[in-house]
This record gives sequence, structure tokens and C-alpha cells, in this order.
Amino acid sequence: MSQSSLSFALPSPVRYGPRLGTITLRRGADTASSIIIATPGLLASTSRGAVPHLSRDHVRITDALRWVNVPFETFLEQTPPIPILHAQHPSNASNPHPLHTFLGFDESRHLLSISAREPTDTREMPPNGNALVCVHSLRGVRKLAPAEWAAYARIAQPDVVLALSDTPCTDAPYSQKRLTKSVERSAAWLATLLRPGPIPMPLPIPKKLKAQPVAAAAPAQPAVALPPTPPVFVHLAGLTSLPARKAFAASLLEPLYGPHITALAPLKTLDEGVAGYTIDLAPLKAALSALPDTPSPSAAAVSPSEDPEAHIAALLRASLTALPPSKPRLVTGTTSPHEVLRLIATVGADVFDARWAQRAADVGVALDFAFPVRGERTPREIGHNLYDVRYRLDFGCFSDALPAPHTTATAPEAGTPTCPCAACAPRPPPARLYHGHDAPSVSGEPEKDPARVLPAYTRAYVHHLLHTHEMSAHALLAAHNLAVLDAFFAGVRGVLSASAAGVEGGPVEDAGLFAKEVRAFEEAYDPRMGVLVEAEAAWRAVDTARGKGRLSRETGAGEGEGVAPADAA
Amino acid sequence: MRFEVIAKCHTTKARVARMTLAHGVTMLPTFMPVATQAAIKGLTSNQMEALGVTLILNNTYHLNLRPGLEVLSKAGGAHKFQGWDRNLLTDSGGFQLVSLSKFTVITEEGALFASPFTGEPTMLTPEESISIQHIIGADIIMQLDDVVSSLTTGSRVEEAMERSVRWLDRCIVQHESSGKKDNQNLFAIVQGGLDPSLRDRCLDAMIARRDGVAGYAIGGLSGGEEKDVFWRVIKQCADKLPEDRPRYSMGIGFAEDLLVCVALGVDMADCVFPTRTARFGVALTNDGPLNLKLSKHAKEFKPIDESCPCPTCSDMTSRAILHHLVTHETAGAHALTLHNVVFQAQVMGRAREAIIAGTFPDYLLSFFARYYGDAGYPEWCVNALRSVGVDLLEGSPNAKIVAGSGTKWEYASANP
Repeated sequence: MSQSSLSFALPSPVRYGPRLGTITLRRGADTASSIIIATPGLLASTSRGAVPHLSRDHVRITDALRWVNVPFETFLEQTPPIPILHAQHPSNASNPHPLHTFLGFDESRHLLSISAREPTDTREMPPNGNALVCVHSLRGVRKLAPAEWAAYARIAQPDVVLALSDTPCTDAPYSQKRLTKSVERSAAWLATLLRPGPIPMPLPIPKKLKAQPVAAAAPAQPAVALPPTPPVFVHLAGLTSLPARKAFAASLLEPLYGPHITALAPLKTLDEGVAGYTIDLAPLKAALSALPDTPSPSAAAVSPSEDPEAHIAALLRASLTALPPSKPRLVTGTTSPHEVLRLIATVGADVFDARWAQRAADVGVALDFAFPVRGERTPREIGHNLYDVRYRLDFGCFSDALPAPHTTATAPEAGTPTCPCAACAPRPPPARLYHGHDAPSVSGEPEKDPARVLPAYTRAYVHHLLHTHEMSAHALLAAHNLAVLDAFFAGVRGVLSASAAGVEGGPVEDAGLFAKEVRAFEEAYDPRMGVLVEAEAAWRAVDTARGKGRLSRETGAGEGEGVAPADAA
Repeated sequence: MRFEVIAKCHTTKARVARMTLAHGVTMLPTFMPVATQAAIKGLTSNQMEALGVTLILNNTYHLNLRPGLEVLSKAGGAHKFQGWDRNLLTDSGGFQLVSLSKFTVITEEGALFASPFTGEPTMLTPEESISIQHIIGADIIMQLDDVVSSLTTGSRVEEAMERSVRWLDRCIVQHESSGKKDNQNLFAIVQGGLDPSLRDRCLDAMIARRDGVAGYAIGGLSGGEEKDVFWRVIKQCADKLPEDRPRYSMGIGFAEDLLVCVALGVDMADCVFPTRTARFGVALTNDGPLNLKLSKHAKEFKPIDESCPCPTCSDMTSRAILHHLVTHETAGAHALTLHNVVFQAQVMGRAREAIIAGTFPDYLLSFFARYYGDAGYPEWCVNALRSVGVDLLEGSPNAKIVAGSGTKWEYASANP
């Protein structure tokens, strides 16, 4: 079984500033078949194991999809989870990437990570236990033990596993005692995940399930040799407390003691076993908003209410103060490109989840922004709420900042990057299907040239699809928004490398040029993200109004989209 | 339109034809997936083309409401609007007036209905229906017909049939005078309910107008009538319709219906069934439909059909992950929609190959044997195919036969 290896190259290991790096996932000995992710870059979210709205053929042609994270909790509806049964199925005995196979990701192109929970889900949950995390599945709350998680990671063999973290999702704010417990548990659960060697089997599962006949593929041996644990990323615990964050970082770095020394050998510290760090912003923001609104006495330079972003940056830097700067930092729960830029500038984060951009596709927003800002710098929104009636007759492509290569409206200026997505740059399939006596030899029609770019799908078309509640709208938007965000990160890297090249002998990254472009971006694009709020309301309106009699209801409410009545022939 | 019959079955009435329209060639017989509102549910036009589909259907009634004609005409027609440069067919809107609007009153002038926007009385005339379809720009357009439910009896059926013939005349006049004849082709719709004599009169009248029409549809069926009556009407129409015009059976989508219709001489059919049932978690296969919502598929790691060339099956998407996704994630619906569209295309493509190879009767026998297995053949299929010289019971005289529609469905209790 060929083992993959993950590495992160950071030519200049800046601790708190903009960093240019490269994550390389090497498959086996063949260096040519490596997945290379330039950072700052994006991570795509999935729901129930699928990139929302994208069929597998669309996943394959969406180049922005390189790192895909799968929250495993939806599979915990059943014990053992189906991906685990699949990985243990005899047909996968020699499959080094069973989870890729099961979920339809391409092991030569997709870095697949798993997390126990959807990291942006902050719904209230029952409290975690000392050795149990509460997770959310379609059939309600399930409990997941750290040993189970370790076994699942080693059986399913994702490329990266996010360690369990004790992130409280109960009634905030959290006491100091609760945060102390969170830090201790998170470190202990990380140790469980890092422990090599056999894992006791069967796993501790609820009694009710044990009584049932053993599931077909579950091995019944007391301990089985499993493949090694995939590279581990650990969440920087401690939430809103600076001391708790520092304590967690310290617990990663302190020499192992007691039984851990032998159990985790050859590791000397937990941090040695960690490939990268994750920062979940959603629970952090939720906990911050629940804090009493008083100037923070706990050494933070700014209080949360004065400047929440600076406060968050201070908290994150507290976690990173002592940790080695050479490991990748993955951030989930960002909500705007502005926030992403500031985290790059002030914290030095490397990979960001695309969930907000994917959510924008859910609610009908076509993203339209670029970094660095090009052309006019009049303030504008970061995208288009395509529900809006102004797009009814707009036959342009989705994005002006990242135009389609072939539009019916205007040709993009030479040299401007164009949008490569399935909506903006549709191409004839490399091989279309034939079904019987319809091949070119029979029909007399030659195959289309797959290199030819076809006209882009238009705003007017998606406007129509949204109002008629057609799912195709979201497929087109999901592919597009990922591409826009991917191009945004390419632009960020471009500015960072230009500034690095421009300063000879000085600090490798010239924060000046990047900071200037960030300011320009913040002036050009409205940071309030009102377009998402507007679109969400329109999406809800269509979603609730649909059904018989919808047209008249909408007209009555004065919210008709103004199309000609049926009799206008 | 160029319509060339290139092969005929030696036993049944099935035939293979090459139909050349303004947006390319479609080989017949074919199944047309339905893109009611200018999109096959969840898919893009580009994906449809990759699936090997060359002819899809849009609904005039829906497109006229949304996005409306102003948008369609400024977009340069429905093809450009939806990014589809293959062939397109639009219905006339008559069927939806009846099925979707409770207040439709049919007068000689046209169909009077309550506008879904304002509730005001609105008239759709045959001329208007044709003009709307001219703006939409489909390669095949349908006459406005007076649709009555196939369960209607009495004089209303006769009236509707006769009015459909008169409306055909008005549609022909409108179409002839439009200057669109080179790119758009008008199809007549044979009506007459379930009454053979009315159907016969309608056929005579419409065949007499053959110079004004490019093809014929068989309408007024698939409305809950007995299957044994259904096939007889199809046969009666297909037998009488001219050889040199395509025959389109409206609203047919179950595999058994498609193959019986092909055997009776039908060239085209459409139905929302394969794409709709996909959204509810049902995959169509040569062994009958698979209901992937059922928990018995939760641990099945094989694909829907290993031999299916669709993107879902060729990627080995397991039944287990589909069970996990369907009705929860749109991606699950997309996966099954891709599969079902290809399944329909395969059923028809294999029919074309068999007709060319002279093995169509064998194809029918093997398809039905596998599709129904032990469940038993629907009696109406046996009767219909016997009428064109194929005996499903040949070689197995004791095979089980079931009455009723015989539509195959997978239930939770079956094959535990």
C-alpha cells in the first residue's frame, strides 16, 4: 500500500504576517503525481460528503477544488459508518484511498480531509464528555469517542484528519473552568489520535448496537493492525481566553510524560505529530458575541466590541506565539474576502474555507470580485444577487472582474484573467456518449472540438432559473463562486510574490505593497456583504412561495419580477 | 426538416430514421427529456449534450410566463437563452392550460383562462400559440389542440377532436405566413380520445393536411386510461399516419411503454418521469426501477448498473452513497438524473441498433424478460406486441402474466 506524504514549504516562515507557501501531497514514490496547493489558498466544504450542487462530472472540471473537507458527522447516523464499511469491504483490500473512491474524489487531484463536525455549525448541542464528542447527524445527536475517531481516520485513510477538539456548543459564555477542561480534553484527544499501533476492536460502541449481530464487514478481532494515522491537523483550542489559548499551545509543545512517552513514541511532544493547525472562527465568534460587553481585562489589547477582528487576531496570535511558524494554518468560518485578507495580513493564515462563497451560490449570488482591484475603484458589492429584477435582461456573464472567455455581450480585454468555471467557460465534452446508431458515421455530424469555449451562461438565464426554483442555477453558481474565490487567492499570491521579488535584501515579503492592495480592495468592495443578505431574503421568498398559485401571490405582494403577463404575445 | 427512414424492422412496425433539423441530426426512435423551464432539472445544457442527447423539450406555457417573451426574444431565442445548440421541441401550451388552470374555458376563438399573474381572463389562440413558439424558436413546434382528459367521454371528445382539426388549419396559416418555415417545423396532434372512430376521422382530416405539417403527434393519451386501450389507439394512429413523417407519442416515458410504442411504429416520445423520479431517489435500470431511498441499498457498494455508460455509473458511484445523498443533497438528484436520462437514451439506442441489425424482436424478448423477471409480463404488453408479430411468451408459454398497467416499482418489502 503506497503511503502519501504531506509537506508544507514556506520559503520565509513569517509568524504573523502574509505567507506564501506550498502544500505538497505526494502519492507514493512518483513525484509527478503530486497534488500541489499554493497558499494562501482555499478549502472547499462538503455536505453529506458531496460538494453542494456539483455532480461528479462538474467536480472533475472545477479546478478550484483541490482541498476538500468532509465533515464526517453525517455518516455517524449508522454504526459502523458507511464509509468505514466501504473501506473494509473486500473489494477495497488494496485500495489506498477508499474514501476518495466512495465519495467520488480523484486521488490524483483532490486532497481530502475529514473533520468530525461541520466546523461552522454552532447550533447548541448537549455537552461533550471527557471521552465523547457530541456530533450532529440527520437522525439527531450522536456521540463519538476519540478512539473511534482514530480508528475511522486510519481505516478511511483521508489525506488529512482534523483531530477532535472539545469545542463547547452549549450555552455561552463559557467559564474559565469550562475552557480549562476544553484545553485539557483537546490535548488528550489529540494524543489518542496520534497513538500508533493496534486499536482495540471492536470499538466501544453503545450497548444497544452491540446486542445486534456483528455487522458483516466489521472485524471481530480484539485488536487489528491498521494503516498509520494520516497527517493530523489540530484545532487551536482555548476559544475566547488568551491564557487558555496559550496553555493549549504549551500543551502541544511540552515534553510528553508518563504513559504517553511510550504510547506515542517516537514523538517527544504532541506538536511533533501535528502537520498543521486549524482555527474554527464560527464557534469563536459565537462565544465572543456572548461575552459580557465590558473592556476585556484579560490582557487583550482591544475589547471584542471595539474591533472584533483585531480582537480575534490577538487571540489567534496568542495561540501561535510559541508554535513553530513552519506549519500550515487552516481557517474555517470566514465570511468575506475582507476578513480573509486581514487574516492573511495580521495572523498569517494559509488555507481558508470557501463555505461563505459556496453559501452565496445557495442563495443565488454570483461572486464578482478580484484581487488586486482592477479598473475603476467605485464602491461596489462583491457579487450579484441574481434574483434582482435588474438582471432580467442582462445577457452578460456572471462576473465583470473575472469575465468569461466567450460572452455574447462584451469581449474581455486582452490579458485579463478569465473565469474557467463550468458556467463561464463551458466546453464540449471530450467524449460525448453515443447510444446506438447515432455515431458521427451515421449522423454525418463531426464531434465538437473540446478545446472550443462555448458562450457563457448568462445572468438573465440564472435569474430565470432562480425564480423558477430550478436547481441548475445553483450548480452553475457553485462552480463559478469557487472559481472566483480561487482566482482571488491566485491574485493574493501574485501580489505577495511581486512584493517579495521587489524588495532586494530587505524583508522577503514587503508588507507595504500587499497592505496597499488590501486597502484598495476594502475601498472598492463593500465589506458589509449586503448582497448576501438581500439574496438570502429573495431565496427564502421563492422557496416559501413556490407551488400552485405562486405567480398571483407574488404579483399581489408587489414582488413580481415584472415579466410580461401570459397574454403578451 | 429532412426525415429519412433508413431501416425497418422485418416483423414489427419499428423503424430507424434520421431527422435533420436546424440544430443538427437526431436519430429516431428517440426519447426527449423534458426541460420544462429551460433546464433539465439540476443539469446544464452542456451536460445534456455530453450525455448524447440531441433533442429536448421546453414547455411553451411555462416559458411564456417566465422568463417571458421579451427576455426570450432579446436573448435570441430559447436555444441561446439556455445555451443549447441541439434540437429543441416546444409544446403548444394547450395541455398545461387544462392541467394547471382550473378556470380554462375553450371557445372556438381559443382557450380562455385566468392569467396566473393577475387572475384576469386571458385568451390563447392557435395563432398566438404559434407566434409564441416562433419567438421561442424551437426546431419543432406543436399546434394548439383542444385537450380533454383521456377519461372524458361523450360529445365533448368529438367536439375537441373537430376543433383541434380547425385549429390546426389556423396554426398552419399562421406558420406559413411567418417566414419561419425553413427553421421551424409544425407538428399536428391527433386527438379523438379513446374512440377508434373519432381517431379515424381525426387521422383522415389531419393526413389530408399533410402538406402543411412536418410530423404528427398522438395526443390525448397518458391520462390514466387503461393500458390495453392506450396501445390500441397508438397502433391505430401509427398504422395510418404517413410513412414519411415522424410520429411522436406525447407523455410516454416508462421503458415498457417506449418499447411497445416503438414496435408499433412511434419515433419520438417525451415524459418528465425519468427526471422527476430521479429527484425522488429512483434509478431506472434494465432490471426495473431501483428505489435508492430504501434502507436495503444503504450498504450496497456496487453502482446502479456496472454496464451503464452514464457519468454516475462509469464513476462507480455506489448505491450506498446515493442512498446517503438522495433527497438530502441536490448532488444526489443530479447523479440520478444523469443516470436516468442515459438509461432512456440507451433503451432507445439499443432499439435503433436492433432494428438496423434485424434483431428488434429478440431485443424486445430479452428486454422484457430481464425487466419483468419473475414479476410477470403485463398483459397489455403481451397483447400489443402480439399485434405486431412478437410473442413475449414464445418459448415460455407458462410465463406469468399480470393484469393492469404492470408498471414496475421497487417496494421496501420486495427482495429483502
